[in-house]
Amino acid sequence: MGRLDVRDEMAKNRRASVLLIAVVAAIILVLAYTIAFLFAPEYLIVVLPFSLIFIAIYTYSSYMYGDQVVLSATGAVPAEGRDYIYLRDTVEGLSIAAGIALPKPYVIHSSEMNAFATGRDPEHASVAVTSGLIQELNRQELEGVISHEISHIRNRDIQFMTLVAVLVGLAAILSHVILRTFRYGGLIGGRRERRGRRGGGIEIIILVVGVILAIFAPILTRLVQFAVSRRREFLADASGAELSRYPEGLASALEKIMRHNQGKMDVSEAVSHLFFVDPNRSALDALYATHPPIQERIRRLRAM
Amino acid sequence: MDGLFLIGGIVVVAALIVLVFVYYYNRIRVLGNRIEEAWAQIDVQLKKRYDLVPNLVETVKGYASHERAIFEKIAASRERMVSGGSREERMEASNALTGALRSLFAVAEAYPNLKASENFKLLQEQLEGIENKIAYARQFYNSSVLDYNNLITTIPGTWFAGGRQKHAFLEVPEAERAPVKVAF
Repeated sequence: MGRLDVRDEMAKNRRASVLLIAVVAAIILVLAYTIAFLFAPEYLIVVLPFSLIFIAIYTYSSYMYGDQVVLSATGAVPAEGRDYIYLRDTVEGLSIAAGIALPKPYVIHSSEMNAFATGRDPEHASVAVTSGLIQELNRQELEGVISHEISHIRNRDIQFMTLVAVLVGLAAILSHVILRTFRYGGLIGGRRERRGRRGGGIEIIILVVGVILAIFAPILTRLVQFAVSRRREFLADASGAELSRYPEGLASALEKIMRHNQGKMDVSEAVSHLFFVDPNRSALDALYATHPPIQERIRRLRAM
Repeated sequence: MDGLFLIGGIVVVAALIVLVFVYYYNRIRVLGNRIEEAWAQIDVQLKKRYDLVPNLVETVKGYASHERAIFEKIAASRERMVSGGSREERMEASNALTGALRSLFAVAEAYPNLKASENFKLLQEQLEGIENKIAYARQFYNSSVLDYNNLITTIPGTWFAGGRQKHAFLEVPEAERAPVKVAF
């Protein structure tokens, strides 16, 4: 049964990745068109093919190197040396139990307790944990957290979640550009009005559409995060418990994290959904969380 | 016309049967191969452990050379763990080795110098890591066996199994759940 479910998840994730790329590509196209229209309408014909090439390169490199982007953005370094023997052993053991290739173990130097997995497929996957997590958890609890991350890898959540992180990153940059264009574009629009050029009405409509998109692009991608994260986290908790055969380990890890974390890891919002628990908010700020409430996760684990 | 329909119908049904047959044939093969893969994982860990144990024994001998009974027990089960025999027999030997190593670690408690030795600590950590990996690999093996057995014993998989036998599970030793008692 378990394995069939996993294949379902893989198919879902693949579809979600394709859909995400399509949506982001469409948004970039519209934004590029809007920017070109505002700054250099006479080059529109040149801008469109260039933005198509840009989209192709960007989505391809997001797919291929997204994990590197995420790892360096979070300050993760390879877990080498004596201190991390147990971490490496646990990652290797649980990947054997899950029947996947060995992911590369990484460490993030932070007193907060957290972890994440990234990569485009199980053969190119990495698991990162904070030094705070290694320090505060006992072995069964650490095993619980890593089994959760290994489940993300096996279910191929990591591919979609990494794509969301990197592509959302671009959306955030572009929306920033568009917000600047909004202020600047108002001036240009005014000048054009004065010069009495044709198509002023259409210009304003496109400007408005562009601005609306610029405002909604990050919100839309946040909604994607919302929609996917919660179900995925519960699922990874459940299949992680199945892997480690000890739901209590994960439950008690979550309890410790809930008490310990200040929500001050200071990582980009674009990667926060990859983490085991929300890195930028403590358990108290559940209202704005991209992650399911920790209490609810503990409750479900204890009910197993 | 009727003749054509009849022939067409027979061709379609035959093609469907072939497709279903191919699907189940491959499925059974894939799951069978997964069991072999799972065993290979266990085998790798058993061999690593085989190579590591003598280092540990040498280290301990430097401090506690008179614990001969335990050394002999370790040597015997270490040999049996890799020397031929069925999978069940080799796993049984591996479990015996786990028990013997635990007695050794328990004995080491009585030798503060040994316990403080960096080398000993590292070996202990490595061996415990391997033991855990063997347990995980056995878990993967058993879940692969379960998938395979389910496929070849349920309809419709069983129609295509061609008399293939169920694989045996590798049993989880009782000792792994209960704490070890050590007699001094």
